[in-house]
Amino acid sequence: MRRLRFGLTARIVAVLVVLGIAVFPLYWMLVTALSSNGDLFAERPRLTPDLGRFGIFVDALAEGKAAGWLLNSLVIAVGTMVLSVGLGIPLGYALSRFSFRGKAVLTVVLLFTQMLPEALMVVPLFALFRRFDLLDSLTGLVLVNSAFVLPIVALILKGAIDGIPKELEEAGRADGARPFTILTRINVPLIAPSIAATAVIAFFHAWNEYVFAVTFVFTPELQPASVGIANFIGELGTPIQTVMAVAFLFTLPAVAFYLLAQKYVVSGMTAGAVKG
Amino acid sequence: MTVLDQTRAPGTTRGPGARRRRSPLGSKWTPYLFLAPAALFILVFQAVPLLQEIYLSFTRTSLLNPTRSEWVGLGNFNRIFGDPDFRHTLLITFVYVVACVVGAVGTGLVVALLLNRGFRGRGVARALVTIPWAAPGIAVALIATWMLNAQYGIVNRLLDAVGLGVPGGAILDSPRYALPAVLATTIWQLFPFTSVVLLSALQAVPQDLNEAATMDGAGRWASFRAVTWQVIKPTVGLLALLMTIWSLRRFELIWLMTKGGPVGATETLVIDLYSQAFDSKELGSAAAIGMVGVIISLIVITGSRLVARAVEKENVR
Repeated sequence: MRRLRFGLTARIVAVLVVLGIAVFPLYWMLVTALSSNGDLFAERPRLTPDLGRFGIFVDALAEGKAAGWLLNSLVIAVGTMVLSVGLGIPLGYALSRFSFRGKAVLTVVLLFTQMLPEALMVVPLFALFRRFDLLDSLTGLVLVNSAFVLPIVALILKGAIDGIPKELEEAGRADGARPFTILTRINVPLIAPSIAATAVIAFFHAWNEYVFAVTFVFTPELQPASVGIANFIGELGTPIQTVMAVAFLFTLPAVAFYLLAQKYVVSGMTAGAVKG
Repeated sequence: MTVLDQTRAPGTTRGPGARRRRSPLGSKWTPYLFLAPAALFILVFQAVPLLQEIYLSFTRTSLLNPTRSEWVGLGNFNRIFGDPDFRHTLLITFVYVVACVVGAVGTGLVVALLLNRGFRGRGVARALVTIPWAAPGIAVALIATWMLNAQYGIVNRLLDAVGLGVPGGAILDSPRYALPAVLATTIWQLFPFTSVVLLSALQAVPQDLNEAATMDGAGRWASFRAVTWQVIKPTVGLLALLMTIWSLRRFELIWLMTKGGPVGATETLVIDLYSQAFDSKELGSAAAIGMVGVIISLIVITGSRLVARAVEKENVR
């Protein structure tokens, strides 16, 4: 009995340590954003957020370019989400329900793209963007981010459609519905959770994307938050509190969105990963 | 005729209409119509650039004049493999990838086993634990850099307080501690993913079997190996593969924390390729370095598939 109680205490402590490690850096981001200069550089730094200084968030948005950055990130992320899921659904459907020439090759290509680093592709893509006049535009970033997240989106959706009994489509086919109608009316509602998962994955991919954004966009007003925040690192002009406030505002929606959709994302990711 | 058709119930008395004569899923072109837009996208933004990059790896091309390429055959590959700096990069890449795999999967497994037990607040704990994975990489790099700041970083202050401080405190500027710091940050970001995936794999472990093993006098470790490990082994293998591929292509976190420095202590293949392209302006060598990374990934994937197949055969017997 005593051993059991000891084991229980040890486990509670272990869980708390893990949670502390998981949460601390973001907590520290918040504490730093809400500290005065005196607190930051004192012998003993402040360990709790000074909630009276909450105005720093308003200031960070109002004064700097942060609001514009976040808005650009939002545009890119939503655009990527819509485009990649819009293209991924029919691709996943084709891979799941049809046999056609080139299917094996296409599947291998989709898996292969998963290991291409963005940094490798940035040079030829730069040339491509220049030719099609896509440099320095949010549209260009939406297109390239969609192309990079599309394979995983399509593979996850293929897996989801695989799980739907084919018989459900028979009714639609008996009514003479076209394949596209069958997809949108019968399959799409049934795979809604997977669609949600892929939407979140695509949103994140674009919200976090840095390499293409920093290389293809030059106008400061068009920069997304990933580039703006990365520029803070190693730069000394901006007060650290403002930097952390902006970074926190960039992190919060991502974490909140993720936590809301977590259930779907995890099963989607593992399903997609299993295929890989 | 059309009026008549409309009055009939659909699909009942329509007879051999054009649509009915097709195969049940439409014409043989139907799948291509579904996949064409996506395939075009992948062709334009991935396949063609990759082919260009393969071509570049056999040329000498400058970023300043990228349209003029000089064919050098395997020259770039000969040169990088003869370069001790590149061999160092390969070594760093190897250490980084192996440590990421072991660290992320190992930590993930421990956390998953910890959270698999029933306790009050488990749902909240599981949600909180996933926060590092949900945080954007850029923000992670920023907060890690601040926490590791030589003078005011909380990590140094804590290390100093217990007398373990790095001399001068500059962890990210130290050839010795920069890589462990980058690794710790990477694993911190990855472990939620591995633990959540392993948690769902653990749901398939038959609890009564575990209990039976313990009843039989098997120790905890023995019953873990005999029951739990057998169930989650495929998932562990899959995660190890994923972590390998992801770590081979990881860029932002390392680039923003150290730019591959100090003196190449954190320079992985992708960092090396990026600085070759944009600092040295050598697109040819950059492409060659990238190809080495892609080939390593391919070997890892193929190898793991072969191993998985062999294991499967073994199990069938």
